[in-house]
Amino acid sequence: MTGALPAPPRASAAAPDALLDVDDLVVRFRTHDGTIHAVNGISFQVARGERLGLVGESGCGKSVTNLAIMRLLPKPAGRIEGGSVLFDGQDLVRMDEADVREIRGRDIAMIFQDPMTSLNPVLTVEEQMTETIGAHRRLSKADARARAVDLLGMVGIPQPEKRLNSFPHQFSGGMRQRVMIAMALSLEPKLLIADEPTTALDVTIQAQVLELISRLTTETGTSLILITHDLGVVAGMTDRINVMYAGFIVETATTEDLFEAPSHPYTVGLLHSMPRVDEREGEPLIPIEGRPPDMRNAPTGCPFAPRCAWRLDVCWTANPPLAPLVPGTVVRVAGAGATHLTACHNPPTPAEAATGRPLRAGHRPARAPAGQVDELASLAAIADGVAPHGAS
Amino acid sequence: MTTAPLGTPGTAPGGDPEAIPLLSVRDLKVFLPITEGLLIERHIGDVRAVDGVSFDLRRGETLGLVGESGCGKSTTGRAIVRLYKPTAGSILFDGQDISTVDGKDLQHLRRRFQMIFQDPYASLNPRMTAGNTVGEPLEVHKVGTKAERQDRVRELLSTVGLNPDYAERYPHEFSGGQRQRIGVARALALDPDLIVADEPISALDVSIQAQVINLLERLQDRLHLTYLFIAHDLSVVRHISDRIAVMYLGRIVELAPSRELNMRPLHPYAVALLSAVPIPDPKVERRRRRIILKGDVPSPVNPPSGCHFHTRCWLRERLGNPERCSEEIPLLRPLSTGHEVACHFAEEVDGSREQLQATGRGGANAIPAGGVAAAAAVPVDVAAAPAAERSAAGVGALALDGELGA
Repeated sequence: MTGALPAPPRASAAAPDALLDVDDLVVRFRTHDGTIHAVNGISFQVARGERLGLVGESGCGKSVTNLAIMRLLPKPAGRIEGGSVLFDGQDLVRMDEADVREIRGRDIAMIFQDPMTSLNPVLTVEEQMTETIGAHRRLSKADARARAVDLLGMVGIPQPEKRLNSFPHQFSGGMRQRVMIAMALSLEPKLLIADEPTTALDVTIQAQVLELISRLTTETGTSLILITHDLGVVAGMTDRINVMYAGFIVETATTEDLFEAPSHPYTVGLLHSMPRVDEREGEPLIPIEGRPPDMRNAPTGCPFAPRCAWRLDVCWTANPPLAPLVPGTVVRVAGAGATHLTACHNPPTPAEAATGRPLRAGHRPARAPAGQVDELASLAAIADGVAPHGAS
Repeated sequence: MTTAPLGTPGTAPGGDPEAIPLLSVRDLKVFLPITEGLLIERHIGDVRAVDGVSFDLRRGETLGLVGESGCGKSTTGRAIVRLYKPTAGSILFDGQDISTVDGKDLQHLRRRFQMIFQDPYASLNPRMTAGNTVGEPLEVHKVGTKAERQDRVRELLSTVGLNPDYAERYPHEFSGGQRQRIGVARALALDPDLIVADEPISALDVSIQAQVINLLERLQDRLHLTYLFIAHDLSVVRHISDRIAVMYLGRIVELAPSRELNMRPLHPYAVALLSAVPIPDPKVERRRRRIILKGDVPSPVNPPSGCHFHTRCWLRERLGNPERCSEEIPLLRPLSTGHEVACHFAEEVDGSREQLQATGRGGANAIPAGGVAAAAAVPVDVAAAPAAERSAAGVGALALDGELGA
């Protein structure tokens, strides 16, 4: 059990206003196919009232991070194998299950991607809402019901009194997500974790739901962790962003800084992979070649090296830590003045970030050592009509 | 209805064949019946999935069909490749009405129009190798000898950027992006003229999406393909399409050149849709304002009278709810060359605050729109480097640029 882990020595004291302080979190899944290195020692903080985006593609560990914080990892496969998660000064990793349950829902609430699978289909919305409220608050049934009506009205469900008796399937997708938001906020949590809250929704409904989340968290000063694959969604919704790849945070910055000066090749690649409605005519997309690494292999070197056009020899052997672009900068880990950190041996220059490709004369991506998959080389080989050897 | 003359396609003697649209859809309707009762099925209504759609598709063109779930965009695509039988209307493909063709004739015609599906996990048979999947259309249509077919399969796989030696592998051995490449290779097997791509990248990760979009674009250039590109994501549709048709509840509400639609949307729904698309740039996002539509899309079983959008329309509300909106069906009418809108009051949209905010106009990407009081000027976007510089940049040789050369 995770409760037996000794408390690790802490590298840095938490900022005094940190609500959540994740330090060196390691999560592994033991499966028949081997160990999945889902989260590989990530550290970040969320200040009170701060809105943090966790961005990355499927399998990058963003959702697992969130499940680990909530102590909801699927058992027995998923385990927190290291690190700590301090919430309001208490270590959630070493806490009793019963105490965690007390905090979950009351202080930390969640919204998941698919509201249909997170609502109970055989209970009415009233039963589910009053159950949640009743589990954490001493309220009479009538008071709990009145609170539920208030909440449904707050999230914009028409005729809340009437709709309280409806079952989840009687709501549309957007309305169901509103019900989820009403339930998540029913106990006035300090932290709301929204995991791809709008991915299953149409874009105009997404706009409704994002606006709602934004308005409600701002009004109540609730901290937000928004997990998404969509850089467009985080651009308008967050103060700060962690970009994740292969279970690592590869870049972190304020939202402003990240889009202004992306400085990890993966972030640069993501931005150039996405078409924009406001793009210029004929602007080509520059895809990130190849595919994400097999998470069963313990990473050696930088996890992005096989797909990276900027890589140097050192990238194959040493995984760079998150560091400020200008060495020696005093690091602030959270809040408005947070330092821009990137985990890269050879960060793209601003000009390269703008074009999406290395521009330095004579630069060639470093050759892969024997036994390493090189996604760039295997693609070049196919293009030449030659079958790559050893590529999986 | 479009105002373009229907003409008499296929019969124009000595006319320029390029001038005849490859596909000409007129007043297409697809109603899916709703029945009740176990033993005796009673017909109690229809889902009016496609409710009078008309458009032309020129050779070599990409038309984007965009809209939200249930707007009928996929049904339109499926009716065109005749996976559904149209309830009414005509589909002229290269001059021939294919809306009523059946049996052997249909099978024969199908060589010329193919479909790429959304979910590469569900659309591939898990018990067939990649090679068999790609080669199956060749077998069905008895093209060439077995050896020739095998060569063709290898050629197709390398065309889509897959190692030809992967022909012996099964779908589960491929990643999502690679599976979608298999789907593309299969669609190309019979050298079709038209490809209907139904949300071909929605199931893929962002970094992989760009790979597939680039592949589709290169294939179009090389093989002179015509695409009907169906997607919910306006930014993707805008990138790949020459023209865009916006659908709402079974009807096309706006049809315009891609750039025009994104810079100057004229239907209140298209404005709302555009405003809802997030742009990955916090500066632009701060400048834009979303139009939050009220409620959900009404049921296509019993759509609102008149203009289908009138129940949620921000413009109608501003105009004091004119009765015309709920009484008279607005037809597609041209407001400028090639820009058609189905709204009685589209003139009111042009230059409105909503339109300007949705397009984020006034920034680096603004078109010099005459007479429009632009918002505060914004520093030039760093991402807007000259295209030439970009293509000349370092790793060009590593990208798949060379893949189609052979």
